[in-house]
Amino acid sequence: MATFSSANPWIAILKGLWVSIRHFFGNLGLFLRGRQDFAIHFPEQRLVQPPALRGMPVLAQMADGKERCVACGLCEWACPTSCITIYPAETADEVERYPEIFDIDMSRCMFCGLCEEACPEEAIIMSRQIEIASYSRRGSLWHKADLLVPVNQLKTRTDYLRRNYER
Amino acid sequence: MSNPVKTVKVTVDNQVIEAPEGATLLQAMLDAGLDIPHYCYHPKLSIDGSCRLCQVKIDGMPKLQISCNTQVRDGMVVHVADPEVEMTRKGVLELLLLNHPLDCPICDKAGECWLQNFSMRFGARHARTIDTRRKRGKRLDIGEQILLDQERCILCRRCVRFCREISKSNELFIFGNGDQSVLDIYDQRLDNDYSMNVADVCPVGALETKDFHHRMRVWFLEDTASVCPSCSNGCNIMISSARGKIWRLTPRRNDAVNDTWMCDAGRLNYKFVGDPARLRAPMVAGEGGPAEAGWDEALKRAAGAIADFVKRNGARTLGAIASPHLTNEENFRFGEMLRAIGAGRIAMAVPRGRQDDLLIKAEKAANARGVRELGLVSGEDDGLEAMLRACEADEIRGLYVCGGDLLEIGQKERVDAILGKLDLLIVQDLTMRPRHGRAAVTLPATTFAEKEGTFTNHAGRVQRIGRAIATPPGWRTDGEIFTALMNELSDRTEQFELAAVWAAMTRDGSRFAGVAFDSIGPEGAPVAGA
Repeated sequence: MATFSSANPWIAILKGLWVSIRHFFGNLGLFLRGRQDFAIHFPEQRLVQPPALRGMPVLAQMADGKERCVACGLCEWACPTSCITIYPAETADEVERYPEIFDIDMSRCMFCGLCEEACPEEAIIMSRQIEIASYSRRGSLWHKADLLVPVNQLKTRTDYLRRNYER
Repeated sequence: MSNPVKTVKVTVDNQVIEAPEGATLLQAMLDAGLDIPHYCYHPKLSIDGSCRLCQVKIDGMPKLQISCNTQVRDGMVVHVADPEVEMTRKGVLELLLLNHPLDCPICDKAGECWLQNFSMRFGARHARTIDTRRKRGKRLDIGEQILLDQERCILCRRCVRFCREISKSNELFIFGNGDQSVLDIYDQRLDNDYSMNVADVCPVGALETKDFHHRMRVWFLEDTASVCPSCSNGCNIMISSARGKIWRLTPRRNDAVNDTWMCDAGRLNYKFVGDPARLRAPMVAGEGGPAEAGWDEALKRAAGAIADFVKRNGARTLGAIASPHLTNEENFRFGEMLRAIGAGRIAMAVPRGRQDDLLIKAEKAANARGVRELGLVSGEDDGLEAMLRACEADEIRGLYVCGGDLLEIGQKERVDAILGKLDLLIVQDLTMRPRHGRAAVTLPATTFAEKEGTFTNHAGRVQRIGRAIATPPGWRTDGEIFTALMNELSDRTEQFELAAVWAAMTRDGSRFAGVAFDSIGPEGAPVAGA
């Protein structure tokens, strides 16, 4: 806060605009050297996403094929859009508890990542998957089986989390 | 009061609180609204002094004292916000957490756990231990309704004292000494009528009810104060509901009725509310048997059938069975409706069962006394035998039956024969039972959790029930059904509005006279003569 409020307002504005200014002059340079096309042609071309990217939340799947989630309900409680619905059940495993039903309504999800932050088990993780449009509302309702992703495929994000959240 | 209790003044952190002489310091501080952490102290159990968390500094005493086992004394000066007290609490909590498994994510107590709450507020932020935690029995099946997790137990012995002092069944003990102490059963399983109360008194998740095990997180539950419908004792309860469903019933403290306890049978008797077999719409007799109909149509049909019957046979041959499960207000309106029609006879069927000296009463319905106080029924058996005889003698040829209790009084064949030969049968019940097939109209009843009103318990205490579950749009509660029929069958145009019904009910001469609706607080109010 202090950097913005106490500094000279003109410097503050310049700081805020620094990214825009940099891109403007960078692209201006490219333009003057003859480049015509500045658009990224999705889906043939894709941006390289930073490790902090929050895509759709998914459930970590352990090596034995089971979910890491124990259905504690903290993500459900933390979710500001109430898009998560969990019904817990008992298992004979040592963890005692697993989600019998774990649904996420992706049409309501706003990718804030609070579920991931609330999770005590590192079981719900914001993946890098952002292409989740569907042709029907029902298609936006993801069930547990659709949400499971092997843990090793989520390494970019878990590494990032451990680095930044003192886990 | 005839025996005035002397009050004494105690100074706690410069605040003067008053307490009756002989009270414990902890209870006095809790009553004054002070926030004193404690585990082993329970107002309805004997004092144990085993958790050491409620220690306070008292002037003139050499060391910290446990406030739960210290009597108040006039002029006592107590310090709670004191570095020594805070350090002691921190130490006690650290010891309690030393071997606690921290499996809060899978513990059903999480969210209402005293160990969580007090550790967050008074404990240290991080554990200092690096040793592995002690392994103990988990998920031990120690009784019909209860699971034991020995790792989570903090050895406060509330459950042990409950089994010794309240249920008097002595199932639970602490075995071993020192850090080898462990809670377990010995020669008998924890199977008594009140066993589930140990899960309530347990401040942590060591004792859990199987019924609520891994089913719903407590922070999603909404609590509604109500009264248990399972017997005439009228234990005060909290209905915990979420997602349109009841997940558990827990006792609510009322020293005049149930202290802080309730029986297992009552606690488990909530599943009928969400029973998929319940009637979801009125059923009207048709050519191919009963068929679903809209509310307005069914009520018109019922009123028409009653009017027809009265025209043919005379109103005196119409009888009615009042329900001890309905509220005072509904039964009052039922009586008004029957008077408007001019019905001949009213009786009540009350299912009966086992009773004991603690809470369980023989009458397995919440409001039998209320129906009697309203003057709807009289006699030893609430007029039931006379009613059955009158039916058999064809003096009564039509019956308006509220509830299914007639089928549960142990005279099944006799009742079957009577219901089979009546000219008119109108039934109001939760589910469709085989005998209701003969009914001209079967109207869905509403459970205790879906409406507001009052019950009168066996001792004549009027207590409010609360609505925890919403009814579908367009639904008519029992009182609204009676009101609609009364309006159809007479020239009255009434609404079923609780305060207005209560006002009419408490007019002069009523046994309820003198009890204002708003005066019925969370602990109820006794009716005149009770």
